[in-house]
Amino acid sequence: MKTRGVSIAACLTITTALLASCGSGDAADDGPVTLKFQALSDQPAAIAETESIVADWNEENPDVQVEIVPAGWDGVYDKLITQFNGGAAPDIIHYEAASIVSFARDGYLADLTDLMSDERRADIPEGILDSVTVDEQLIAYPTELQSYMVFANRTLLEDAGVEIPTGDTMTWDELREIARATTDGDEVYGLGWGLSSPTAAFMSLAPGFGGTYFEGTGEDATLTVDDGEMALPELVHDMAYEDESILPVTMTQSGSEAIASFYAGQTAMTVQGSYQAANIAKDAPKDFDWVALPPLAGPEGPQQAANPQTLSVNIDSEHVEESAEFIEFFTQTEHLAALNEADALIPATTSAQEHLAEKLGDENGWDTILASGQNFVSAPYLFVDSYAQWKDTVATPAYQRYLAQETDETELADQLTNGWDEITQ
Amino acid sequence: MRVFAQQLVRPAQYVALAGYILFLGFPLLWLVSASVKSSAELNSLVVNLLPQEWHWANYSEALARQGLVSSAGNSAMVALASTALVILIALPASYVLARLKGTIRVAGVGWILVSQVFPVILVILPLFLILRTIGLTDSLVGLTLVHTTYTMPFALWMLQGYVAAIPVDLEEAGAMDGGNRLVVLRRIVFPLLAPGVVATAMFSFVSSWNEFFFALVLLQSPENYTLPITLSTFIGGEGKVALGPLAAGSVLAAIPSIVFFSIMQKKLTGGLMAGAVKG
Repeated sequence: MKTRGVSIAACLTITTALLASCGSGDAADDGPVTLKFQALSDQPAAIAETESIVADWNEENPDVQVEIVPAGWDGVYDKLITQFNGGAAPDIIHYEAASIVSFARDGYLADLTDLMSDERRADIPEGILDSVTVDEQLIAYPTELQSYMVFANRTLLEDAGVEIPTGDTMTWDELREIARATTDGDEVYGLGWGLSSPTAAFMSLAPGFGGTYFEGTGEDATLTVDDGEMALPELVHDMAYEDESILPVTMTQSGSEAIASFYAGQTAMTVQGSYQAANIAKDAPKDFDWVALPPLAGPEGPQQAANPQTLSVNIDSEHVEESAEFIEFFTQTEHLAALNEADALIPATTSAQEHLAEKLGDENGWDTILASGQNFVSAPYLFVDSYAQWKDTVATPAYQRYLAQETDETELADQLTNGWDEITQ
Repeated sequence: MRVFAQQLVRPAQYVALAGYILFLGFPLLWLVSASVKSSAELNSLVVNLLPQEWHWANYSEALARQGLVSSAGNSAMVALASTALVILIALPASYVLARLKGTIRVAGVGWILVSQVFPVILVILPLFLILRTIGLTDSLVGLTLVHTTYTMPFALWMLQGYVAAIPVDLEEAGAMDGGNRLVVLRRIVFPLLAPGVVATAMFSFVSSWNEFFFALVLLQSPENYTLPITLSTFIGGEGKVALGPLAAGSVLAAIPSIVFFSIMQKKLTGGLMAGAVKG
């Protein structure tokens, strides 16, 4: 009996002790200003680079210290919305353009229009700057982007007698021709493209065909599905079912999954996010000879929608100006170049792109990838309130049905527009 | 012929059992396999359970990730504390729910059922504001209380089922022998409830150990992060995932759960009605 009594007492004591030891202390002091910087960097090299930049800032600015709060991309939207509503959001917020527009509209982000230096403003291509401008307010500094690129197996292209494109751009028709030429029965397909969730790719690449999808912003936006919007889905459909030059299984995979068949020589080319160049260099078989092909250009040019990673400032921060000064420091040419090299992404400023191009040359396709950095344009979908809902519940299932031949072009267009009407009415 | 068929039954049962265990254990096996494969192998079409080349660097990379070990410690503290609280509260409460008749029981059962209806996303903001008012956001104490509250309804539901399964006759026999209510509870009911308590504790521990969303939203400081939050940082933007290190981190994260289970499992069946009815 005594033993049981002692056990219960011990259990209570342990619980109390555990709870007591769990407490986190927030020591208030009157020292330097401390800015909380919620950073989403995930690559070890990018984390190290972020820490290095912050350490440099802290050394140069003893009165304004920056503290990194590492966070993951998974669930960060829900975390931020709760933090904003609960008045507990960090001072500096790392995220992406497509997701911060709604925060800006709800009044959670500071207007940085007057805080961004003229030098920085002039250094950011117009299309990228537009992607972080909401209602004529600059809501973030853009930092890193990806573009959609075509990576090719040089050996398979040469074996098929294809001359590898080397110009500033490559047309979609050229891509189709090369895909046809390199397709060899069931052994090799010309193209592998992970289109399990095709909406993002179709939206990003639509500007090259003159496709905009949306007009207007916020709740007033309207959807148009016309020739420019349908051109790319139809092209992919034709390549898959008329030419039979797309490996069918890749159309049910993600981009990362589709790259395995590229390494295995089952596909001669693959459409991927530009950051995959670093992975191909690391993961491809040793004798794998690959090349990044020039940026894809539609009838309207090589434009792609910009959805940059961003740094914003919490409007409720007591130190908005100091936060903006830190972001100015963070986005200096050398810092952005180093960060993007670590993340294998494209810097949002022209000077950082040039810095990186000079440093890396044509290593691992960097010259081609960086060249695509000047083709970004702002995309209307970034500023549409119901876009995320439409994308998940209407567009992606509709594209999937179309790419699986369950519907035709007319039905696809109807489903996209009718679905939008149902959501917005 | 019949004897031959009977002889086949037992081996067939073992084969079926082995197949079932393999089916259940395969995801874990695959996780362990992925944790020792290189990025190149994980991104190839080659499908092997055993890696072509053992790539232990995934483990060093996972352990080098900032805060993995300390966040494991945080997870253990929160899980153990919330499990202890759940058991302390649920044990007497479940007895009341199972034995009492009337409005308290109806209200209790109704509360349990209703509490399961609301999605987490609905309660997170009010919860955050309440915890902020009492200074318990970004605090492992606050998270412990949330996990306790979140787990409590199902724990109560589980335990009251175990209590209901204990014959009332046993309690009456104890009372006939001169034991008061407390003595009957302590010497008859609670010992018989041991397997139920263990099962409930295991459920509470694992629920808390794996819980992601509350921890994601409530915890702000890296030093307070729990293991699922730290593991989520292996998943990057633009669809990038450090699969090998993530798998290695997940294997490491699973170890405490497995140890806890292996310790508790022995007690799961040990006390089951042992000696309850004397001949």
